[in-house]
Amino acid sequence: MNPSMSAREEMMRAIREGLARSAEIEARHPLQVATPPPRRPTGVALPILGDGAAPEAGAPAAPAPSPLAAFRARMEAVGGRVAEVADEAEAAGLVAAVLTELGARTLAVTDSPLAQRIAARTGELGGAELVPDPSADQLFPCDAGITEAQWGIAETGTLVLASAHERNRLASLVPPVHVALLSASRIVGTIGDALAAAREPVAGVPSHVITFITGPSRTSDIELTLAIGVHGPQVLLVVILP
Amino acid sequence: MSIAQSDHSAHPSSSRTFGKNATEALADRQLHGALHRATSLFGERRGAAISTVDDWEGLRELASSIKDDTARHLDRYLEQFVAAAEAAGAKVHWARDGAEACRIVAGIAEERGARKVVKSKSMVSEEIHLNPALMAEGLDVIETDLGEYIIQLAGETPSHIVAPAIHKTKGQIAALFEKALDMPPTDDVAVLTQTAREVLRRHFATAELGISGVNFGVAETGSILILENEGNARLTTSLPRTHVALMGIEKLIPRFADLETFLRLLPRSGTGQQITAYQSIITGVKPTPEGEGPEELHIVLLDNGRTRMLAHPLTRQTLWCIRCGACLNVCPVYQQVGGHAYGSVYPGPIGAIVTPQLIGIEEAAQLPFASTLCGACRDVCPVRIDIPQILLHLRSKVVEEAPPTAARPPMERLSFRLYTALMSRPRLLGWAARLGRVAQRAMLGKRAAIGEDAGVAGKVGPVGAWTGGRDMKTLAPKSFRDQWVEGVGDKPSRGGKQ
Repeated sequence: MNPSMSAREEMMRAIREGLARSAEIEARHPLQVATPPPRRPTGVALPILGDGAAPEAGAPAAPAPSPLAAFRARMEAVGGRVAEVADEAEAAGLVAAVLTELGARTLAVTDSPLAQRIAARTGELGGAELVPDPSADQLFPCDAGITEAQWGIAETGTLVLASAHERNRLASLVPPVHVALLSASRIVGTIGDALAAAREPVAGVPSHVITFITGPSRTSDIELTLAIGVHGPQVLLVVILP
Repeated sequence: MSIAQSDHSAHPSSSRTFGKNATEALADRQLHGALHRATSLFGERRGAAISTVDDWEGLRELASSIKDDTARHLDRYLEQFVAAAEAAGAKVHWARDGAEACRIVAGIAEERGARKVVKSKSMVSEEIHLNPALMAEGLDVIETDLGEYIIQLAGETPSHIVAPAIHKTKGQIAALFEKALDMPPTDDVAVLTQTAREVLRRHFATAELGISGVNFGVAETGSILILENEGNARLTTSLPRTHVALMGIEKLIPRFADLETFLRLLPRSGTGQQITAYQSIITGVKPTPEGEGPEELHIVLLDNGRTRMLAHPLTRQTLWCIRCGACLNVCPVYQQVGGHAYGSVYPGPIGAIVTPQLIGIEEAAQLPFASTLCGACRDVCPVRIDIPQILLHLRSKVVEEAPPTAARPPMERLSFRLYTALMSRPRLLGWAARLGRVAQRAMLGKRAAIGEDAGVAGKVGPVGAWTGGRDMKTLAPKSFRDQWVEGVGDKPSRGGKQ
């Protein structure tokens, strides 16, 4: 290290010197490293359903599934629970039933009006005691959290949560049960579609955190045996509204 | 500071002694079973996951060209990244080496009066030996990735890039938990996992500082992306007031939209998943106090030998690596000896090219030779790093630069000199071949006359290391050159100008 230079200056200088030296070598030996020309891939296969077996030769190609069906299949394949409901009342009934089944009594609710409406109805049904817009400390003892998901991704069965839309970073993470409300019309095709949508600011404010969630928390760190719910939620319920 | 001293105590085996480490690892039957199960399962899962992509080769090619472009213009992308990250409210630090990075992190902890630090998985933090450095400053450092937590309890180092505790059985882990966490004996993986969850939650709730790695840094937006399955990286980067992200300067990609390419590539190559359970894309800090997350984000940019790799078009490819670990799983050497034998933070084929460049060729002179050059690593690499070519390049550097070591014994140098002398003098070669035929008849009798291979000769004197593991080919009763002169068979006309 050169004490007379700042770390930034010294690193930038080292980068430029290194690049100049490798450019010199490349100029002398142009064939030494063959760099393939960039090529856009044709894309990711959809459907990504079932066992991945190739269709028989000559068989008519199966019709591509709807984004909703593709999302659902992928999410369920990694252990997420998915329910489609007709309206908010049905959503509340379903959430209340699942919370009762899991023995969850306290429900953290974000600042989303939709989540608050459904949580209020869930509470009326005797499903849970509500903890509105909780702090981190309040969240630790909560049994469940209810949030919106701003988008879904059909390609991977992924929920996309963006901080500019809702304070859902912790309610989707800390309690052992995460209930996510997703509108079917917000399911996009690919990861790229979701990235483009999520980076858009809301009232001029961009999302400082964008979270992709695909299934409940998982680990295979002990003998590669799958265990669900190691640090994040053990149960992920996705409620799809029209 | 006590940073440098702690390095070696953390590494029972050194990269200087790969040969010895490997011999010991080969004798460990339990390790063999674990490695076989893990590497074959990762291989199967990867195969299934990449079959869901229409044009996997096109995706690799695209990723490779993005990483090549990034490395070629690293200066510009780095400046763009820093400007965007700072505009979003992050504080960027520059660290020329591991010791400087450790000092920066320790300084941040001290200024905030932090006592407890939670960490999510970061290979860079292993590379710079951050934990011992912070512990020497009196900090309580807790690894929260389950695999990392296990090896921290055991006082060991990771043996695989994506599955750090791959070498341990659940019985060993249960015994470890029984002792360290005072829990009843069990061999139920779910119970072990739940116990770790409960213990670590208490730490998440009280830590003042969270330290993470970075999978990708986006030059365009100053964003950092972290992939994981457990949720511990989300907790680490969301709950403590201060988040420190350690990032090697090679982690950059140019555009936000490029994340799509790498999100399709990395999980499939690493764990054989179509996508991991969680991705966090963090851009600066919360814009208003009511927002969720840390109040401060510090990004520590680390060189530690990386700028040296830029100085050659071949070694520059090392900086394309996205640390998926796919090359470990397919490597016939890694499959037999495991990660610890490499004696370095990064094992396997990628470790064999990264380590000598990071810590110096003389410290890791054996690693470029810890390969059969079969090329399986190059074939699976999602960004198409030509690992075998880089290994050859580093081997030539060892021969040119490093002092004589076990990696290049004097006998080997002498043999190659003799070989060069023979092959460049046809008459001498002819005489030597004739002499060899006489000598082998004495040793092999009739078998030599019919051209049968002599099999493994066993360890023969000073060239034992060579002959001990190789089939010896017998010399043909009559050489091709002799036959040519005598004009045997359907040789083409020797007319023309002659």
